[in-house]
Amino acid sequence: MISVRQLTKTLGSQPVLRGIDLEIVNGQTCVVLGRSGSGKSVLLKHLIGLLQPTSGEVWVEGEEITHLPERKLGGIRKKIGMLFQSGALFDSMNVAENLAFPLREAGVKNEREIRERVAEALEMVDLAGEEKKMPEKLSGGMRKRVGLARTIIGRPACLLYDEPTTGLDPIASDSINHLIRRLQKRLRVTSVVVTHDMKTAFTTADRIAFLHEGRIYFHGTADSLRATQDPVLTDFIEGRSGDVS
Amino acid sequence: MVTALGRIALSLLQYLGELALLAYETCVSMLVAPIRWRLLARQIVEVGWRSQLVVIVTGAFTGAVLTAQTYFQFAALGMKSATGSVVAVAIFRELGPVLTGLMVAGRVGAAIAAEIGTMKVTEQIDALRSLAVHPIDYLVVPRVLALVLSMPLLVAESVGLAIVASYIVGVNLLGISGPFFLGNLYRYVGPRDIKMALTKAFCFGVVIAFVSCHQGLNAKEGAVGVGRAPTEAVVISSLAILILNFFLTFLLNMLFPYGS
Repeated sequence: MISVRQLTKTLGSQPVLRGIDLEIVNGQTCVVLGRSGSGKSVLLKHLIGLLQPTSGEVWVEGEEITHLPERKLGGIRKKIGMLFQSGALFDSMNVAENLAFPLREAGVKNEREIRERVAEALEMVDLAGEEKKMPEKLSGGMRKRVGLARTIIGRPACLLYDEPTTGLDPIASDSINHLIRRLQKRLRVTSVVVTHDMKTAFTTADRIAFLHEGRIYFHGTADSLRATQDPVLTDFIEGRSGDVS
Repeated sequence: MVTALGRIALSLLQYLGELALLAYETCVSMLVAPIRWRLLARQIVEVGWRSQLVVIVTGAFTGAVLTAQTYFQFAALGMKSATGSVVAVAIFRELGPVLTGLMVAGRVGAAIAAEIGTMKVTEQIDALRSLAVHPIDYLVVPRVLALVLSMPLLVAESVGLAIVASYIVGVNLLGISGPFFLGNLYRYVGPRDIKMALTKAFCFGVVIAFVSCHQGLNAKEGAVGVGRAPTEAVVISSLAILILNFFLTFLLNMLFPYGS
């Protein structure tokens, strides 16, 4: 579904991505792991054309998107939904208006259909009946759920998750992890999850890519990652910094 | 010294280039994307309707103060009845558009930069883009149109109130003859003054809209970045209005010469 070829990105004078090659297969969930600041979110934003690479290519369903102008990316973006780290809800709109936004933009005019689809999306993320709340009244976990509901309401073929559990308590994180898994089964979407949370990785992944020093250091199944003896990977999995106190 | 000056000139050129690019993208958007009428109406309320108090106070008190000051100077020369016309010409051609522009830059420009800047750093603009909505269509076009439509009306309102305040202060308070005041006003103020006021209003509206939207869209991460965007929007818009006004005065006097 998505193919990344020799992608490089330099922000200012700092090279962030140094030649990424990654294949994301239809219907599978690929988790991109890496330390904070390793360029995971930067990579994710390239998959939907929110960032332009310094060099390299991103192909989505056979179409090269890296050189498409903003206005021509609309078609691709209707196929790919993205959940942002903070939820990125529009704070001038309530929950229902946030969810209705992509539908109205897609030209859905029937208010009854919009109401039904909003209710259905909220039910999928376990937030039925929260239509009238404003974003500032929601907890961090609820914001992410509403953001996810807004992402899936347009029925995209692929979902991108940017740090879906960052900033959440362990129970809320677990709940989001299971929600991601449930949506994968129910909607049968291709997913890319960017995280540094091992629990999220092992709960949701079909395949795991580990980003290290701007390159894909490891790409394989969750079981092969668990079995690895590579010190870079084992340090990350077990959360060892090497510092002594 | 030369290097520093060169650097300033380059960054000014870059800034003007970015503004020109934003203006170009906005024009393209107006041609290829449908206008969002509901957003436009909301922005007109925000920009036009909610600026009423500021515009009324600015216009009325500028007219009143200018009348009093002109009267005190002219009375000594025995030219009291010329007060109305001098005030009216000054208000129409310079003070009405410029002061309204500065007030709107402070009230509306800051709000636009702060709102768009906050949307940028909270990833709401990226969210718009990810939902296949072009930020220029959704955020910039309605604000530019609202300012371009509202500014001439706000300036007209401000100028009108300034003239009314001038009449009240001049005739009722300072004892200038009403018929003389109005006679001189009609004699020296003509359609060219109205054209000048409205043209300047339109230009200042364009400046405030693009400068403020640009500052918002380019806000840097964090509280400092978002805080700086409205401040810079107000400062740059105000300076641009004052500088542009100088050139517009020359240009408009050539376009609308005396007697036109």
